Amino acid sequence: MDYGWAQEYVDFREKVRALVDEHDSPEIHLEYSQEDRRGPRTAAFRKALDGRGWLRMCWPVEYGGEGKSPWYQFILIEELEYRAMPYGLLSVTSVAPAIMAYGSDEQKKRYMPGIWDGSVSFAIGYTEPEAGTDLASLQTRAVRDGDDWVINGQKIFTSGAHSATHVWLAARTDSDAPKHRGISMFIVPIDAPGVTITPMYTMSGLRTNQTFYDDVRVSSDALVGEENRGWYIVAHALNHERVGLAPTGGLGRSFDALVQYLRERRPEALEDPQVRMRLAEMRMEVHVQRALATTNGSIIANGGTPTMEASMAKVWSSELRHRLHSLAMDLLGRYGGLTRESGDLAPANGRLEMIYRTSPILRFGGGTNEIQRSIIAQRGLGLPR
Amino acid sequence: MDLALSETQQLVRDSVRDYLAREVPFDRIREVERSGSYDVELWRSLQQLGWLGLPFPEAIRGSGGSIADLAVLIEELAKRAAIIPILETMVAALTIQRFGDNAARETVAAVLAGGAIVVPAVLEANDRFDDVRMAIDGGRLSGEKYFVDYGADATHHLVAALRDGEIALYLVARDDPGVKVEPLHTIGRAPQARVTYDGATATPVCGGDGYRYLVRLGRALAAVQCLGCAQQALDMTVDYVSRRVQFGQPIGSFQAVQHHCANMATMVESARFLAYEAVWAVDHDLASDEQVALAKAWASRSVAEVTMQAHQLHGGIGIVEEYDLYFFSLRGKERALAWGSAEECLAIVAGSVDQREDWLPMWPSAST
Repeated sequence: MDYGWAQEYVDFREKVRALVDEHDSPEIHLEYSQEDRRGPRTAAFRKALDGRGWLRMCWPVEYGGEGKSPWYQFILIEELEYRAMPYGLLSVTSVAPAIMAYGSDEQKKRYMPGIWDGSVSFAIGYTEPEAGTDLASLQTRAVRDGDDWVINGQKIFTSGAHSATHVWLAARTDSDAPKHRGISMFIVPIDAPGVTITPMYTMSGLRTNQTFYDDVRVSSDALVGEENRGWYIVAHALNHERVGLAPTGGLGRSFDALVQYLRERRPEALEDPQVRMRLAEMRMEVHVQRALATTNGSIIANGGTPTMEASMAKVWSSELRHRLHSLAMDLLGRYGGLTRESGDLAPANGRLEMIYRTSPILRFGGGTNEIQRSIIAQRGLGLPR
Repeated sequence: MDLALSETQQLVRDSVRDYLAREVPFDRIREVERSGSYDVELWRSLQQLGWLGLPFPEAIRGSGGSIADLAVLIEELAKRAAIIPILETMVAALTIQRFGDNAARETVAAVLAGGAIVVPAVLEANDRFDDVRMAIDGGRLSGEKYFVDYGADATHHLVAALRDGEIALYLVARDDPGVKVEPLHTIGRAPQARVTYDGATATPVCGGDGYRYLVRLGRALAAVQCLGCAQQALDMTVDYVSRRVQFGQPIGSFQAVQHHCANMATMVESARFLAYEAVWAVDHDLASDEQVALAKAWASRSVAEVTMQAHQLHGGIGIVEEYDLYFFSLRGKERALAWGSAEECLAIVAGSVDQREDWLPMWPSAST
């Protein structure tokens, strides 16, 4: 049991902070808030990250990594989340681990470098109009035709598809098998003929999409892992996704932004013991999130795969996201409702109300919190199904 | 950063757990509760088996373990609802060993050798750690101390009192003619007392540094006791709902029941991290008052919530005195109050809540 950090990790965090300081600017955040989340500053930062090898340093040397402890990625993601810097999100934290675990050597060599430098990015193609929480009932089909696969169907909430290079797509390859055992995973280039993307705008301001697959032909090397074993790859990827969705950095940043605003603009509020108690409560809840996130980190660093713990962190962080931003807005009164477009009057540049609007997503995204609680109870505590 | 228990800690956990399961049936806990005193037999056994020396140097016949090792022992004892002054004596003895002089340290040797029980006597009628009023006067102490755990059973009290306006700690012998002890009866059903000192002879041990260490250590270990009670209540509940059949199936297969259990487990898991982190940080002199208070606030919250959910899922059987759940809900709530309630501890966090801190504190590793 050791709650401290070897010096190399402390040094690494300093290096990450120094690089972020060089690239952090209002402009890069503006780029990132645009519909396609791209721009020259974003690209330059991704290039700088890749130049240092930081997104790949925890992977094996033969795939361009350095074989470092997973704690490096943990620290890196926490820092980048705190500063809201772009790093590739689910491509890095969910798809990359799945390709490394299940992909062929050729696929690893082909896709990983691009994931790390930002030239390859994935939209997640799991959900369909009739297959949400009951994901295994998905109907998009892939049929073998000679050496190729031909894909037909429809996905929804394919977030990021309009700026991604590929879709990480789950499709049915055996309609006669039990529904969990007839699914396979494919990597589909977004520009493949037959892929159509139509936007859906959400109340958070973020764009998501419907994607349609109309006789989309991909070669046999688009299949990831074994045919009909895709469900297990999805489960693996979702587990990593849940850990990836639950860093403390973003929540900590909102807390700091709230306190900073109160200190500068509403110092009398900070004199109020009731306000301070509400803030203390939230500080505690953010540290609870740190406890759960770090518990996951420790399991991964010791070579294990968190299941129950990943779900705990996902549930807690997504529900705290709502509580924290809701309280922040309450403490700010009518100012709390002002969006970024209100300019200087909007506290913390509108960050708090904006994240409030995104907070429903993480509660149902990545597997609903109801499913997560069932996972904790059944797989973690061993309760009967 | 590595949360896995060390080999020593696994050994402590397994051997204490086996020993308690074998030697301390819950019916014995009921007898001890009725006696109004502590489990003399268990205390003697722990002393003879060397467990009381766990966090002390080998030079004084301890086993050279860490305070985190001690916390593992304390968690197991909390999970068995053992009624012994383990936290009190260890906190007092560790403080004396570290901050006291050689004369004071003889009391520590006496604890390890099996003759002495030392318990802190800090709080007064105002129930505040930061407003102790009793003052030393010519080597003697007069006044009242409240909420002294095992105050009647101890051989010595480690009393907080002012010296020249600064807080200090003094040893007072329980059998001093100036010491009068009245029992208090608590929800936790473990011995507690109000102690009146009337010109009792007091031996100085240490000053404010020692006092602050004592409170931090007591608070961190009390968080571990809360955790132990919550963990045990969760384990009992998982076991119960897996066996209890209604509507033709185990109630643990119902989603509503499963989701309560998931929430309980999440609180226990996070309370575990924060409580042990606080213990570790105190052990390595890295802890701030705010950090320890935050861990205790969460442990206090968690034990009350988890044990109440445990009762909800047990229904009627859970509140019956022959059933073992009440040990953990009642003792758990009492431990939630001890060494600072959730409200007191949150007020400490609130005191500096506008100060910026790192969300990922990176203390130096113990192993390098």
